[in-house]
Formats: sequence, structure tokens, C-alpha cells
Amino acid sequence: MERVVITGFGAISALGLGADVNFKAALSGTSGIGRLQHPYAEQLSCGVAAQVLAPLPELIAKTEAALFDRVSLLALAAANEAYTQSGLSVDAEQATRSSVFWGTGMGGAHTVEAAYEDLFVKNKRRVRPMSVIASMNNAAAAQIALKVGFGGAVTTYSSACVSSAQAIGEACRAIRHGYVDRAIAGGSEALLTYAVLSAWDALRVLANTDAAHPERSCKPFSKNRNGLVLGEGGAALVLESLSSAQARGATILAELVGYGISNDATHITKPDPAGQARAMQMALAEAQLPLSGIDYINAHGAATIAGDAAETASIKAVFGEHAKSIMISSTKSVHGHTLGAAGALEFIISLQALRANAVPPTAFLDDPDPECDLDYVPLQARHNQELRAVMSNSFAFGGSNVALIAKKFEV
Amino acid sequence: MKSFATVAKMLAERLGVEPDTITPDTKLESLGADSLSVIELIFDLEDTFGVKMGDERPTLVVVQDIADIVDALVANKPQS
Repeated sequence: MERVVITGFGAISALGLGADVNFKAALSGTSGIGRLQHPYAEQLSCGVAAQVLAPLPELIAKTEAALFDRVSLLALAAANEAYTQSGLSVDAEQATRSSVFWGTGMGGAHTVEAAYEDLFVKNKRRVRPMSVIASMNNAAAAQIALKVGFGGAVTTYSSACVSSAQAIGEACRAIRHGYVDRAIAGGSEALLTYAVLSAWDALRVLANTDAAHPERSCKPFSKNRNGLVLGEGGAALVLESLSSAQARGATILAELVGYGISNDATHITKPDPAGQARAMQMALAEAQLPLSGIDYINAHGAATIAGDAAETASIKAVFGEHAKSIMISSTKSVHGHTLGAAGALEFIISLQALRANAVPPTAFLDDPDPECDLDYVPLQARHNQELRAVMSNSFAFGGSNVALIAKKFEV
Repeated sequence: MKSFATVAKMLAERLGVEPDTITPDTKLESLGADSLSVIELIFDLEDTFGVKMGDERPTLVVVQDIADIVDALVANKPQS
């Protein structure tokens, strides 16, 4: 079985473009959440979101524009950064052992909605010819693979909020068991369309706008938390087998040592501490780490009333006495809930923390819920920490739970 | 109302060619414009000029053919 290492990462979110930019903002608790900027903002209850407002990097020719939904453009932005950092290039033989594992909750939502708008609102009798190509759920993954010339399996996972965490975990398994030597793994999400936002409004899980400070509307683990803030984003890793990374003299950034995944099978939306715990325990078992071996957990921490309480319970259930000594934070407070991209984005932030020995805070946690009584690193980052291993949690509607563990690489 | 300049500019962008190489008599085929990219262009033109092309599949051979259709639609647009 191969060890699996990380040789590149890339991210784009409301915090900005670039993994370093994202980490710096998370460390300083600088929020990318703001008032929703949308043509239908007036009609929506949702008042805030974590939007990618900056122009996207120009990675495609104008001639290709029709083929790319926003979700694929975010994917390319992240994958391009990761791939460039890795210094990878593959020959024909290697290409057959190189895969893409991608996650998205909704795929090409903007393209789908534009097509419906053309048909039902503008009464056109046809939609844009590339609508299928741009909106198909595998588009982002396929476009990444096309750009880098990867000829191994290109797989898209769609499991709501765990999608990209699952993609990373499955990529890790494929490399570990020798199916491929390397993979680009991650996820992207761009679903802030009128209908989709209305659907989320209707579900009544979105946060109220903090009127005085809209950027503070996502308050994980706070007494007055009241829901999640949706975000757009893309995040990608380059994963390689240790042997193939060493063979090409790659710079190894960290080692992926644990992947745990479970399903609650108790309720379609309500989080279940038992299911969450099983995912964390599974990751710990694969990593062969004791409970005292995890120094930082990037929590799922979506700031729903039930979710944050359930996660506090599940972390306690897994770590017992050690739970109180672990630093835990939710960076959703500053980048929002990026759904299909969340697992990857937050895992990358965890990797950055591991490398910098610095833990990003849970921003805006000035009034903690007494029920969430673990060390949630309120307000201030912690620097000069001895971080040996980090865990990143993602929990989803539907019941899926994923935990990923990374360790500092030692030969 | 002459839409040729806008049509040429948008066509050039979509096809990745220099806009000043496009004249009214330039054949679409010679620009590498397949039928699907012409339809994509038509969508953009509909949005830009606030018109609707309808169901007809017009014969489009040269760039001016597209501009002619847009000009006609704009001329017939109900004044709001």
C-alpha cells in the first residue's frame, strides 16, 4: 500500500484567489461574507452570502466561454493553482495513471437557470447550444482533466456538503491501493441563482443578516447563531503516491493519513453525533493515531443550531477526555458554507495551519453557546503551535459524514 | 440602425479572430464559425439588442446576413 502525499493546493472563495490568500484571511478572521449582490436580491429573504466578487482568472480562451459554467471556472482556478504549485507534468504513460476526483453539490446551476429563464420567462424556443456541456455535473472534473491531460478515471462525487471531502478521500484510497499514482482532487460550487437561493430561503436554515455587521452573519458555536451563510468557491489538491512524488523530486507539503466516511441513516437533514463520530473514528484508525494525536480540528461548524451542538457532542464522544485539549475552529465564519467545495477548502486551510503551526480562529465567537464548551479558538488565531496532525470534518444533508486527517510529512 | 460593428466585434471575440479582419462580406465558414457558435452568438445578440430571433432558421452565409436580421428585428421592436 502506498503512502499518499500532497504536493499542491489551490483555492478560490469569498476570501480571495489563492490558498495563501485564503489562509491569511482565515487567520486574521477577516470575513468574505457580505450583503448579497444579486439582480433578485429584493425578492429574496437571504440577505448575505460569501460570493466570489473579484473577477475570475482568465484561464480559458473566449472561444471556449460557452462551454464553461461558473462552477467549472472556479474549479479551473483552484486546480490550476494546485497543479502549478506541484510542478507536475505527465507523459503519455503517466497520464493513464492520473485521475481527477471532484465534488459538487449542484453542478452547473447558473447554466440550468439561464436556460429556464430563456424558455419560461423570455419565451425563447431554444436554449444556448452548449447548455448540456456546461451544466452536466461532470463538467468541472472533465474540463480539469482535459486541461492537464489526465487519462485515468474522472469521477464526480455529489454528496452535498461532503462532496469534495469524499472526493479527496476516495482519491487517497485509489492511490493507496495502486489504482493510480496521482490525482487532482477537490470540489467547486456556484449556485447562488435566484431559484436556488429561494429554495434555501424556503428551507429556513439560512442565517439572518447581522444588520449592523453583515460580514459577521455566520456565527459558529455562538449562543446566538441562527443558520448558515451560503458561499461560492473552488478548492483543489494534488495528491501523489509517495514513491511517485519522491521519484520526481517533488516538494511534499503534507501527508494524507486518514479518511473516514459514514452515513447517519437516521434523518435526512438532522445531524447525528453517532454517525459523525464513526467517520472520525474511522479516520483515526486508518491514520493509526491515538486520540491525543490530533492537535487541531477544522470543524464542519456551519452555524446551525442543531449542527454545532451535534458536532460538539460527536467530538466529545470520539475524543473523550482529550476533547478539551484540542483546538477546534470553524472557518465557515469567514468563507461561508461552500457546499460542494467546503470539504476541500477547509481541508486546505487545515493543511496551511499544519504547515504554519498557526490555528485560525472561529471568527465572531464572542458569546459562546454554553453547550459548545470545547476550545473553539474564539476570535484570535493561535500562532507558534506545535501541530503534528490535523483533522477536517464535513457533515451533509442526506446524512453523510467525512473526516480527513493530515500529518506533517516525515520520511 | 446598423448592427454590423457590434456583430463583428462579438463574432470576433467568440471565434478568437481579429475584429478588423471581418467585413460584411466575410463568409462565416471562413472564420471557422460552426452552426453552434453562430447560435451562441445569436443568443448574445438577442440579449445585447433586446430582440428575439424566433423559430426561423435563416440562411446565414456572410456576416452581413446576421447584421441584416438584427437590424430588421431592432427596427420592428415595439417601442416601450
